[in-house]
Amino acid sequence: MIRLVRAELAKLTTTRLWWGMGLALLLSGVALAALVAFFLTHGSVPGLGEGLEITDTLPALALARMVYTGAAQIGYLLTLVVGVVVIGQELRHRTATTTFLAEPRRGRVVAAKAVALAVAGLAGGSLLVAGALLGGGTVLALGDLPVFPDAGLLLRTLLLQVVALALWALIGLGAGVLIPHQVAALFVAVAAAWIVEPLLAWGLSFLDWGDGLAQYFPSQATLAAMDVYSDIDPRIAAAMGASPEQLPWWGGLLVLAGYAAVMTLAGIWLTRRRDVL
Amino acid sequence: MPVPSENQRAAGGTAVSVRGLTKRFGEVLAVDSLTFEVAPGRITGFLGPNGAGKTTTLRMLLGLIRPTAGEGLIGGRPYAALRQPLHTVGAALEATGFHPGRSGRDHLRVIAATHGVPDRRVDELLELVGLAGAARRRAGGYSMGMRQRLGLAAALLGDPQVLLLDEPANGLDPEGIRWLRGFLRHLADGGTTVLVSSHLLSEVEQTADDVVIIARGQLVRQGPIEELHGPPTVLVRSPQPEELARAVRTAGLEGAPAPDQGPGAFTVEGASLATVGDAARAGGVTVHELRALRTDLERLYFRLTQQQDPVLAQPQPDGEAP
Repeated sequence: MIRLVRAELAKLTTTRLWWGMGLALLLSGVALAALVAFFLTHGSVPGLGEGLEITDTLPALALARMVYTGAAQIGYLLTLVVGVVVIGQELRHRTATTTFLAEPRRGRVVAAKAVALAVAGLAGGSLLVAGALLGGGTVLALGDLPVFPDAGLLLRTLLLQVVALALWALIGLGAGVLIPHQVAALFVAVAAAWIVEPLLAWGLSFLDWGDGLAQYFPSQATLAAMDVYSDIDPRIAAAMGASPEQLPWWGGLLVLAGYAAVMTLAGIWLTRRRDVL
Repeated sequence: MPVPSENQRAAGGTAVSVRGLTKRFGEVLAVDSLTFEVAPGRITGFLGPNGAGKTTTLRMLLGLIRPTAGEGLIGGRPYAALRQPLHTVGAALEATGFHPGRSGRDHLRVIAATHGVPDRRVDELLELVGLAGAARRRAGGYSMGMRQRLGLAAALLGDPQVLLLDEPANGLDPEGIRWLRGFLRHLADGGTTVLVSSHLLSEVEQTADDVVIIARGQLVRQGPIEELHGPPTVLVRSPQPEELARAVRTAGLEGAPAPDQGPGAFTVEGASLATVGDAARAGGVTVHELRALRTDLERLYFRLTQQQDPVLAQPQPDGEAP
C-alpha cells in the first residue's frame, strides 16, 4: 500500500499540475485575503446604515477569520479540481490500464489515490493559508489592526481550513469516478459547488425547514468548520451570505468528512466494478 | 545488445490458459467461448481481423474486463490473484496511454514505484528499447514507434515470465520490427511465454511457433504454425508436360497442371520431392524445376477468418469493437 501511495504521489509530482496548482493556491491566498482585508477595513456594514465601520462592529478574531479564510472558496474549488483530475486523467490519457495492471486490486488503487490526494490537499491548503497570512496580514497590519488575535482559536480556523481543502479534494476524486469523462466531471463538480449548491440553499431559505437542511451542504459545512461566522452579529453574518443556522465547528468538520468518505467509497466501489477499456 | 536482468526461470515456465472466455457488450458478443493455451518458451501469434475480439480477450485475461463467462489463468491463477503481478506478467496493450506531460522516464518510474523496482532498472530498460535519448522528454511528443518502445519497456519492468503484446509492431520501422523479433526469440529461448497479437499473419509468420486464430470472437484454428501449411505440395516443371503427367500418374500420384506457376508447371500433392523426382526419372522426363511449394499462409488466413464472417474479414478501420 505504501508503494501504491508513493506511485500516486509520483504521478502528482511528475506533471506540471502540481506547481501550477501550488502557485494558484498560494497566489489566490495572497490576493483574496488582501482584498477581503481591504474591504473590511475600508467598508461600512451593509444594512446597518452609514458611518458604522465594519472594524467597529466586528471582534478582532472574527475579522481575522474572515480575512484569512477569504480565499477558502477558491481554494476548495481548486483542490476539488485536482481530485477530479487525478481520476479523469487516467481515463482521458488511458493510463488506467497501466495503473490497474500494476495493481489489479482496484479498490486499493483508489484508496492510494485518496491518501495521496489528502497529502497533496494538506500541502496545497497550507500554501493557501501561508499566502493568506502574507496578503491579509500585511493589509491588517497596515490598518493598525491585530494580525493574529486569539491565537488558539484562529489557529484552529486555519488548520481546519487546510483540512477542509484536503477533504474537498477527496470529494473531487469521487466525482471523477462517478463521471468518467474528465471535462464533464470538472464542469459538474464546479457547477455543483459554486452554482447549484448556493442556489439550492437560497431556495431552501424560503422554506421553514430549509435553513436547517442548508447547513449540511458542503460549502456551509466548510464555513462552519472554519468558524467564520461565529461571534458575529447574526444580521451582519446574514448580510455576508451566512445561512441563519450554522453547525458548530466540529459538526461542520464531521459533515464535510462524511461527504469525502462517501465520495471516496463510492469511487472505490464503482472502480472495482467497471471494465477498463 | 543489453539483456534484461537474469532470467532465472523455474523449470516449466508459466503457461497461460484461456477457458471458455466470453464477453457480451450489450447486444454484441465480442468474445464467444474462447479456449486456448499458450505454452512457455514459445512465441504464440494471436491472430484475427480487427474487431475479432483480440484486445477484449487480452483485457479479460489481465483482469481489466470482467468476463461474462469463463476465465483466463496465468500459471493457474487469475491475474487479479497475482501479488506484484508485473513480476509475473508484462503486458503492452493497444490503446494504452501516456500522460502527454509526463516524461517517458517518469512514466516508467511511476510504474516501478508500485513494485519497488529501482530507477537503475528503469534506465536499463530505456537503454534496451532505444529510448535513452528521449527519456526525459515529455511523452506527448513521442512518435508512434517511441510509444511502442515505451510500452514494451513498461511491460518488461518486472522482468516477467509471461509477455503479452498487443499489436507491438504497429508504428515500428522495419529495423525496430527486426529488433523486436530477435528480442522476443531471445526471451522465449530463455523460457518466457510470449503472446503477440496481430491482425496480419505476415507480421508473426516469421517469429511465431504457434498460432491462435480467432474471428468474430470464436476460435478458428490453433496449433504449431507448420501445421497451417497442411500436406506438402511439390512443384515440378518440365518442357514435356504430357510425358510428365503420364509419369506422375504411372507412379500413382495425384497431380495437376498449374499454369499460374508458369509454363510447363505441374503440382503434386501429398508427395515428397524425392518421390516426384524418381517418378520423372522413371518416365524419362526432363525436369527443369523441382521444389516444395509453401502454402500461401496469408491467403489461408484470409480464408479462415473470412469463412467465419465475410463482413469482418474485409479491411477495417483501426480499432477493436468496444
